Amino acid sequence: MKIKRNFVFWAILFTTLISTSRVEAQKNDISSQVTLANELYHEKNYQAAADIFEKLIDQGETNGFLYYNLGNTYMRLGNTGNAILYYLRSQLLLPRNENLDANLRYAINQTQDQLSPSRGGLIHSLFFWVDSINLIEHFEILILFNIIFWCICIGSLYYRKSPWKSLKKISLAILLLAFFSTGLKYYLLSEHKIGVIMGKKVDVKSDRNIQNVTLFELHEGAIITVNQEDNEWAHILVSTDKSGWVPIESIAY
Amino acid sequence: MENNLKTKLQFWPTVPAILIFIFIPVTSFSSNIQLSASVDKNQLTIEDSIELSIKISGVRNPPIPNLPPLTDFKVKSAGTQSSTQIFNSDMQVSTTHKYLLTPKIDGNFIIGPVIMDLAGSKYQSDPILVTVKKPNPIKPNENKLVYTETSISKKNPYINEQVVYTFKLFRKTEARNLNLSMPYDESFFRKENLGKAKRYSRVINGIAYDVDEVSIALFPIKIGKSTIPPSMMELDLINRTQTNRQRDSFARFFNDPFFGRTTQSKHKVFSTKPIKLESKPLPKKGKPREFKNLVGQFSITSTVGKESFDSGDTTTLTVTVSGIGNVMDVTLTNLNLGDQFKIYPDQPILKKSIHGNQIGGEKIFKFALVPFTTGKQTIPSISLNYFDPDKNRYSSISTNPIRLTIKPGTRTENLNLVQSKTAPTQQKGSTVAILARDILPIHTRVDDFKRVRFDQSQRMVYMIWIIFPIIIYLIAAGYIRYNHKMNEDMSYSRRQVAHRKAIKKLNQLSVSNPEPKDSVRELSQIIREYIGDKLNLQGTAFTSKEVGERLNKNIFTDDKIFAIKKLLEKIESIQYMPVVVHKNHCLIDETTELLISLEE
Repeated sequence: MKIKRNFVFWAILFTTLISTSRVEAQKNDISSQVTLANELYHEKNYQAAADIFEKLIDQGETNGFLYYNLGNTYMRLGNTGNAILYYLRSQLLLPRNENLDANLRYAINQTQDQLSPSRGGLIHSLFFWVDSINLIEHFEILILFNIIFWCICIGSLYYRKSPWKSLKKISLAILLLAFFSTGLKYYLLSEHKIGVIMGKKVDVKSDRNIQNVTLFELHEGAIITVNQEDNEWAHILVSTDKSGWVPIESIAY
Repeated sequence: MENNLKTKLQFWPTVPAILIFIFIPVTSFSSNIQLSASVDKNQLTIEDSIELSIKISGVRNPPIPNLPPLTDFKVKSAGTQSSTQIFNSDMQVSTTHKYLLTPKIDGNFIIGPVIMDLAGSKYQSDPILVTVKKPNPIKPNENKLVYTETSISKKNPYINEQVVYTFKLFRKTEARNLNLSMPYDESFFRKENLGKAKRYSRVINGIAYDVDEVSIALFPIKIGKSTIPPSMMELDLINRTQTNRQRDSFARFFNDPFFGRTTQSKHKVFSTKPIKLESKPLPKKGKPREFKNLVGQFSITSTVGKESFDSGDTTTLTVTVSGIGNVMDVTLTNLNLGDQFKIYPDQPILKKSIHGNQIGGEKIFKFALVPFTTGKQTIPSISLNYFDPDKNRYSSISTNPIRLTIKPGTRTENLNLVQSKTAPTQQKGSTVAILARDILPIHTRVDDFKRVRFDQSQRMVYMIWIIFPIIIYLIAAGYIRYNHKMNEDMSYSRRQVAHRKAIKKLNQLSVSNPEPKDSVRELSQIIREYIGDKLNLQGTAFTSKEVGERLNKNIFTDDKIFAIKKLLEKIESIQYMPVVVHKNHCLIDETTELLISLEE
């Protein structure tokens, strides 16, 4: 019995060490890949740099700066649609990055339609900070205020003084605000899909068929909201009065 | 006195009558309802308008009567008046609807009967015959009070050539509420406004007129004949007349026309004659291949942001086309700069301006150029063709070639200029010119490229972090509440510690090994204390019988009460025996077992 217990212990320790060293090696590999891609970018070998960034993303690497660098690389390659797509993806993770904001605005200015990501609405006005904080930060803030609130609850139970009760009410209000804000952010990210037109010129149809009426045209890099997907077609929204169907392969999100 | 009483008697029925008629919102009828229609004049010119008054008397709040079809008139509502008159307790109510009818054509017309449907009964007015005559031909030297005229700058323009269509109102009197309509054939012309109306004075044959002039630029978009329909000017002419009140001391004192004159306004409509024109095609002779329907007089210039820069950097090429004519139609979509540059066109900026009485302006095209190779490069001249209608020939204009020096790129990505989030493109008063725009460099700090995780396991971690403080709180809350109760509730506190205290004392007793009699006394004391703590009783002086009575009322079952009583009696009997033969340990164990069974 004792031998078996020892065996399990050593097996866990060995696995942990192996996995840790593997993670470390992987991290080093990613760093070297990013360094190499950055070098290639500086050497103006944009296509090779883009290939490396794309490969890293395909491997499951999720990082705002990775998306940002790939967006820049696509801008240098003259592929405005992909550049805007990766800038938008980067913005989800780096919502307060000024360099990213500037480059996204520059890229949008280069497009024919010059459509910016849709903002506004009462909810956005009320929860004005939602766009400036990413989802992970939202969760971290929620956890922090959750811990603070329950600590204050314990304190108010222990001390039973009125300042503690006031503190409890204030912290509860902040916690609820953080909770709704996180919920809203999660909802917007999962339901409010922002996409980019990838084709040079895309006809927006009144229904899911190429023979239907063309309502309006969009061009590469136009930012749209994807409402619904239906097989090979997607229903997109440009503004409250401009919406229609486009082939799904002509957009990316 | 008698007269005063009579007035009072008349006054009291009148007041409720007025109040009832004012505040009861329902339509009330009287026996003699009348509907009549009248006009202020039945002979007029096409420049005049008629005021049609429809009076309904004998009913309060009548429905709006139906007007007859008036296809030959432009109908405008001029308001509704209601009146209530009381003569010797007899109330007369009437409502008058007024309409302004402006004839569209001349001739004899019958304004049909006006019909009102009220509670199933129909009321109608008599028809009215109206004669509309043509206005007298306008001759400026005839000393007319007001007249209008229209003109075009060219009757036989080329397609896309600017034609200035001008409307002028000449007047010697004051006019108000001017409303001008200058219709044009939208399928034949494209219109551009030429600014606000001009107002100036002009002397014609020695008579000074105030002139209001409005011009629009029309660009024919088709070849062939077309007619510009008549322009219509609606206005109220103000006629000030001197009254006898000149003798009035007020008027004399202030010497102001306001106190001594009355004003009368007269609604008039003036229409101009239609103007025919014929647009002709542009000559085929000498027409350049790259000609793009540009008609007028134009010039072209080009500049670059910087003439020397590093490879990978950008420069902005600005091409400005300016002049008079259809400058808005200038396009530079297929800019041919060879294969030396990657071109990023910006949205062109159009600035319209008025030159004399014609429209023109400048259209600015911006292109960000990224050179493919280093060394000396040349932006070739950019040419533009247009047709000059004044010279009746095609002209070609072009920019000067621009030489650029592109240096090999450095290791770090150079930044020209980046649009800041809110700052304008150039600070007020700054002499630094913006040469070009470019993206900001890539991010190079490798430490920042850590993987951001938001997968299932990460979400689980977040959930744990959300739930964990709640669990900690529940544990802490239980402990704190227990502590508070122990401190505040003595009976609870005694009850909670009773068993622990008794067991502890029993252990001490078994270890200390005292004299048997003392041991039994001590044992009895422990049990009594235990029961005292459990039942929150003061002191320990109670017999086994009393214990039985008190325990009955509380939490223990009968068999347990019996066991306690039996043990206590046993201890008491041993305590008072002359010689104690019972083993201490057996008794302590028995007590311990009993206490454990009581706690279960």
